[in-house]
Amino acid sequence: MPPAPSHSPDPPPADDEWDPVFIHSRREARLIVLVWLVAMLWTVPYCYFTGFRKEGESPEVTFILGMPDWVFWGIAAPWMVANLFTVWFCFGYFVDDDLGRDPDEADSDAAKESV
Amino acid sequence: MLDAKTFTPLLAVDNSGSALTVFLVYTLVVFGLALLSNHLFKNKSFLSEYFLGSRGLGVWAFALTFAATSASGGSFTGFPSRIYSHGWILALWIASYMVFPLCTMGILGKRINQVARISGAITVPDVLRDRYRSPTVGLLAVSLIVFFMSFNLVAQFKAGGKILIVLLQDNALFQDGVAWTRSVLPQTGFLSAVDPGYLLCLAMFAFAVIAYTTYGGFHAVVWTDVMQGIVMAIGVMIMLPLAISQSGGVDAMGKSLAEMTPPRVGFVELTIPRAFDKPITLPSRWVLIPGENGNQRLLRLPAIPTVPAHSPGYKAESRYVELTTPAEIERQLERLRGGAELDAFRAAVKRLDPAAAVESLTIALLNEIPSIAIETTIVYEKKYLYGDGVVGAYVTGPGANGPTLEATLQAELDAVKRKSQINDEELAGALGFLPLSIAVSYFFMWAISGTGQPSNMVRLMAFNNSNTLRKSIFTVMIYFSLIYFPLVIIFCCARVILPGMELDPDSIMPSMAVALTSNAGQGWLAGLLIAAPFAAIMSTVDSFLLLISSAMVRDIYQRNINPKASEKTIKRLSYWCTLLVGIGAMLGAVNPPKFLQDIIVYTGSGLSACFLGPVVYTLYWPRTNAAGMIGGMLCGFAAHLAMYVGGVYVNDSFFKPWQPMGFDPIIIGLVVSFASTPLITKLFPPPEKALIDRYFRKRPSTPDA
Repeated sequence: MPPAPSHSPDPPPADDEWDPVFIHSRREARLIVLVWLVAMLWTVPYCYFTGFRKEGESPEVTFILGMPDWVFWGIAAPWMVANLFTVWFCFGYFVDDDLGRDPDEADSDAAKESV
Repeated sequence: MLDAKTFTPLLAVDNSGSALTVFLVYTLVVFGLALLSNHLFKNKSFLSEYFLGSRGLGVWAFALTFAATSASGGSFTGFPSRIYSHGWILALWIASYMVFPLCTMGILGKRINQVARISGAITVPDVLRDRYRSPTVGLLAVSLIVFFMSFNLVAQFKAGGKILIVLLQDNALFQDGVAWTRSVLPQTGFLSAVDPGYLLCLAMFAFAVIAYTTYGGFHAVVWTDVMQGIVMAIGVMIMLPLAISQSGGVDAMGKSLAEMTPPRVGFVELTIPRAFDKPITLPSRWVLIPGENGNQRLLRLPAIPTVPAHSPGYKAESRYVELTTPAEIERQLERLRGGAELDAFRAAVKRLDPAAAVESLTIALLNEIPSIAIETTIVYEKKYLYGDGVVGAYVTGPGANGPTLEATLQAELDAVKRKSQINDEELAGALGFLPLSIAVSYFFMWAISGTGQPSNMVRLMAFNNSNTLRKSIFTVMIYFSLIYFPLVIIFCCARVILPGMELDPDSIMPSMAVALTSNAGQGWLAGLLIAAPFAAIMSTVDSFLLLISSAMVRDIYQRNINPKASEKTIKRLSYWCTLLVGIGAMLGAVNPPKFLQDIIVYTGSGLSACFLGPVVYTLYWPRTNAAGMIGGMLCGFAAHLAMYVGGVYVNDSFFKPWQPMGFDPIIIGLVVSFASTPLITKLFPPPEKALIDRYFRKRPSTPDA
């Protein structure tokens, strides 16, 4: 009979034993979720408080580059900031990792080498 | 700048045949790409190549296939019509696209690609099954994908047929085809009630997309996506300056929208006293009738009325949109007094009545046709649910919101009789298009729900290395910035350029394409612009088609029924499966269920509620086990479904879901799924150590990566 699978009686891997792709991806994912949250917490309340018509009120709308000011400051400007952040994320924060090789690809290369 | 010739009939482009030419050229190019793809992957592992492109996509291919698949047909039909109907509030509706590439590609991308490589997975259920070594997890994932995607595919096929019919409806060759289709359709049974024009368009669309997807597989889909993605971007980039310029510049456009009040809609009865020897089509959509206090009321009919032969005193009932902004009325009357609109009107009147002195006609109005003397009577009128009479409703939140109007007056009156008081739908409509809670929901809906779509996940498994991912996030960021925000500007301009189109919103994109290019003296460009929505729907349908057939061939047949199947068998099965799924979806779309658009919303948010939480834990939490995975998927599914079932009790309809505190079912589904996965996981033993080591422990690096 094959040995029963081990259900982690062992301690989890030490910090330096975790797969770096896992560590880097998790760190990057957390930052992205944070940025999404910041974007929402700026955009939705800003647009609501400055661009929504409430009971008995009529917001004073001025225009910047043809768009209502609440659209400009609540959406267009943060969109630009989000784009700048994305550039920094892609080229200043994101880690280039070795993602490994597909088993099919590895088998095919091994077969070629054996020939 | 705005001038009097701005409103141009849609017929102009269709008579030139450019829409049909665009469709034929498109079909030829995608067939060429499919042939090339099939030829190139002959020497590679069939399954991996056919369903995943051998994990070898570079930056442009990966970025554009991801972007094109995400941008469904709705981006160029439903989205423009919503902008047109509700105004600038759509900028908030779509605002989470500012972080869409980051979220949808960055949260899962690198890690899901790595995990798929470790096990050689080529589908999402493959990844989950291998990660937990659990066929049950794999089969549950397949079942959910096939369940949701089958409905969605039918809906996408329907959208494809509808877009094509909008593009081709007035083409003479197409009309001949419709007449032939009508003549061969059986008079009874399943096909008797189907519009032959729609059936023909559906068949053409289905043939094209099924053929190239079946033959070419993933690479053909990716290459056509790249081409379609480029067409979409070029289309928007051409339309933007034309729209701004023809609405009088950004400042004038803003000012015009700020002073606009929402229209009124209703039914008008037209009485045509005179009889004709043959059926005639009246030559204008516009009617001017006297109103109160000496004002004039300008109505636009969504369809041009046709009068049958030998019918004195013929009465026609038509829906109408009435412009309510004085400056807008004046601007439209000015257009009708000159330019191409008046010339076309005079020519049409001359055809109706050769003896008419058409030179004396000074305005292209339906009730100005000499010797016909059309009488008009308003029989039913509805105000906007939110925004009626409100100056600035299109430049402030929560956005103008129109009433529904049934297709016929009798249906509308029947609907009114059924309602003893204001119903929930009307109450919701009276809050405006995008109240605060719905705005929050849509911030989840696009960026977060998009991250949880299996069709996006499978693309994240296809890029060749992490450098490609980094550059692709950047590329998609630029791509979406060039598409979505400009679309809001373009179709806010459309309110100024093409007023009164609230009752035929599906035509706003092709109508704008024709109007903008004709006014710029470049009518030939319209063909390219109207190709954009067609490209968008095709690039989504082909991906969904492949997703379902991969689930059947790989996840059900190869992994559960016949693991030792030969490559020849798999190949034959893949072709047949893609073909049959496509044909099945087409047949489903011939006579689609009534609530198809609602089904699209249900399936899109349902998939995310089922998959996002469990997949995130799969990739980032070593402790997750198969039980937690199954529980997370089922709880997400059940919570999301419960909101819809709750709709039956609260709102009397499955497709008007219960929204606790105004939040969409997607939020409830995601919260339950994210919470239940760790809770259920903790109730069961941790996964095998070997599995944790395989997917989470440091691995020796490969020599040439």
